[in-house]
Amino acid sequence: MKTVRDTFVIARRELLERVKSKWFVAMTLLGPVFMVAMIVIPALIASKSVVGAKVEIVDRSGALGEQIAAELRGMRWIPKIVPPETSYETSKNRIRDNEINGFIVIPKHALEGEFIIYEGDNGSSQIVAMMLEESVRKVVQGERGRRAGISPDTLDKLLARPNFLSQLNTGSTKATSGLAAFFVGYILSFILYMVITLYGVAVMRSVVQEKTSRVMELMVAAVKPRSLMAGKILGVGAAGLVQVSVWLTMGAITLAYRNELLGLFGVTGAGPTLPALELAEIAVVLAYFIIGFFFYAAMYAAVGAMVSSEQETQQVQMPVTMLLVIGVLCFQVISSDPRGTASTVMTMVPFWSPLLMPMRYVLGGASLGEVALSLGILILSTALVVRAAAKIYRVGVLMYGKRPSLREMVRWLRY
Amino acid sequence: MARGEAGGRVKSANALVVNEVTKQFGNHVAVERVSFTVPRGVAYGILGPNGAGKSTTLRMITDIIAPDHGTITVLDGLKPGAESAPYIGYLPEERGLYPKMRVIDMIEFMGELRGLSRAESKKRAGTWLDRLGLSQWTKNKVQDLSKGMQQKVQFATALIHEPALVILDEPWSGLDPINSEVLRDVVDEIRKAGRTVLFSTHVMEQAEKVCDAVCIIARGKKVLDGKLRDIKRASALDGLIAIEVADEIARDKAEVVIQDRALVAEKRPPLAGDHADYEVRLADGATPPQLLAAFVTAGVALRRFEIVTPTLHQIFVAKVGDSAAVAERRPDESDEIEETA
Repeated sequence: MKTVRDTFVIARRELLERVKSKWFVAMTLLGPVFMVAMIVIPALIASKSVVGAKVEIVDRSGALGEQIAAELRGMRWIPKIVPPETSYETSKNRIRDNEINGFIVIPKHALEGEFIIYEGDNGSSQIVAMMLEESVRKVVQGERGRRAGISPDTLDKLLARPNFLSQLNTGSTKATSGLAAFFVGYILSFILYMVITLYGVAVMRSVVQEKTSRVMELMVAAVKPRSLMAGKILGVGAAGLVQVSVWLTMGAITLAYRNELLGLFGVTGAGPTLPALELAEIAVVLAYFIIGFFFYAAMYAAVGAMVSSEQETQQVQMPVTMLLVIGVLCFQVISSDPRGTASTVMTMVPFWSPLLMPMRYVLGGASLGEVALSLGILILSTALVVRAAAKIYRVGVLMYGKRPSLREMVRWLRY
Repeated sequence: MARGEAGGRVKSANALVVNEVTKQFGNHVAVERVSFTVPRGVAYGILGPNGAGKSTTLRMITDIIAPDHGTITVLDGLKPGAESAPYIGYLPEERGLYPKMRVIDMIEFMGELRGLSRAESKKRAGTWLDRLGLSQWTKNKVQDLSKGMQQKVQFATALIHEPALVILDEPWSGLDPINSEVLRDVVDEIRKAGRTVLFSTHVMEQAEKVCDAVCIIARGKKVLDGKLRDIKRASALDGLIAIEVADEIARDKAEVVIQDRALVAEKRPPLAGDHADYEVRLADGATPPQLLAAFVTAGVALRRFEIVTPTLHQIFVAKVGDSAAVAERRPDESDEIEETA
């Protein structure tokens, strides 16, 4: 009983030490602002660069130049038609001298399929490439239609995109948009990945701190190393969960009122609606989120127990990080075939089940029985990892400034 | 379990029994078949040069490491570890606290881990801070304190739960004379309350002032143990008398007496650390009063006439001189962190 009480006393200390720090409060409140800024600012800068570009059009077809110029003006670019005999060298030099941003060369047989080429200092931008391709397609197809004697109305009808939809149906759920379900699963798993890397490392540092501050001998004399490890994982974990809950709540409120919020900025119309999750799905997602987090926190605690200084953690944590990354890279395996053997196996292995099972379940690939089995494995593994971490830590007390070899570590685990 | 005397257990007069304990790290034997018994209510010193195995012994008692062989019994038949932890207070050689914790929280936290309720722990933490003269630092973070003040906080974390057995590893290292005095008072007080203090040190002068009993170890082995008084008596250098004379005239007069082979066997310089003029060894059959009478008869102006009892330092050097010399050459190494290969 002392063990359990000690665990909570230690967890409380870890939690309070974090929650009371000014940085924690600041990050909790400002975190979402930073995240939004991270997405919005680059997008804003990118979109700015698309406007106002000066381009010259070298039209050797004699038919498309003016129309493309009109399209570019619609994009708020500043096009100028230059004589068709303008050489490539001339145009290139004008870019070099900062007189223009780029130039389009329309070859003589552009309508027959010869390449229309844009070269410019913004040519690597995806947005520029997409917008230009769209404009050129419209102009070329329109010109082709006009020459074939097809009226613009008929042409529009001919060119109208056929509507097609691919939906997910595993027999257990109602058919939903595969893409939307994928994104929900993907986002959730990705948030978990972020949280694990953020707070797992915090657990590790907290364990290493015991050694660098030399407080561990005091602690080991008073409590069992297992209580110490479990307490640290719980305490730091709880601090992480507090922070994430605040963030998710803020995110949820933003999503719920997104139309009103967008209205404030003068944007009207509904954004894409997210597929609603059922209660069972929310429960599964939360279970994996919390238990998965504690599993990886225990892994990082074990890493912290092996090393004796902050610098060393960099290398030793690599294997743990790699395991996580493998999980992230395997999102595709789950989303493309949630019921396949590879998916089934991966969602049973504790290293990857926290990341992949929520997605697989949301996609309808796993039964509740499978979820229960996988959760059971995960919980058991967490307990084992905590034990191992405690044993490594205990022996590590005597190893100031020296990292154990693999062989020594195996010996300690049996000790 | 009831605090202190657990029901059903045999009440022991000893605070600690260490029996034939051995600990080996790789090829290095840190502690070899060491036995000693610490009675209740005493201050007991484990003395030895650097690297002798003092800290290893204390760590086995606090269950930080397990002995390879031998048994350790704490208080009334308790094993080291969880069952004895609430009754033990420990000041490790590696001093460390949580740097970002407030001083009062740190002490309270350790009290809680040693089994006190949070409220009780908080109350006592405040009392201790007053006692150690740190009351104006209560709300500061540990890292804001000077090293000496941190050390006092550490004493508080070891003593807050009023443990029956207090274990202090090298408690005087890093303390200034005033704080050394404070610590001696604290040790005295614990002993008067019938509780027990076990500490390690290589500073013999401190040990001599504080200890009731000692165990000297060197190179992992026990050299001798027992009550300080008994040890001193046993090592009293037979018939050795330190003499200090008043002046040159007295010296010449004394010289005549010393020449008497019926009284004095040998004249020699004093032991290290003594400021006597010389020491004499009595001849067989002669007694100190006879020699004193001879001096008085001869009219020697004596300043000092004392039967030599060696200091703990002298006993220590005499007993472990060689190993101490070996240990001195690598003073940086802490007690037993040798190659574990």
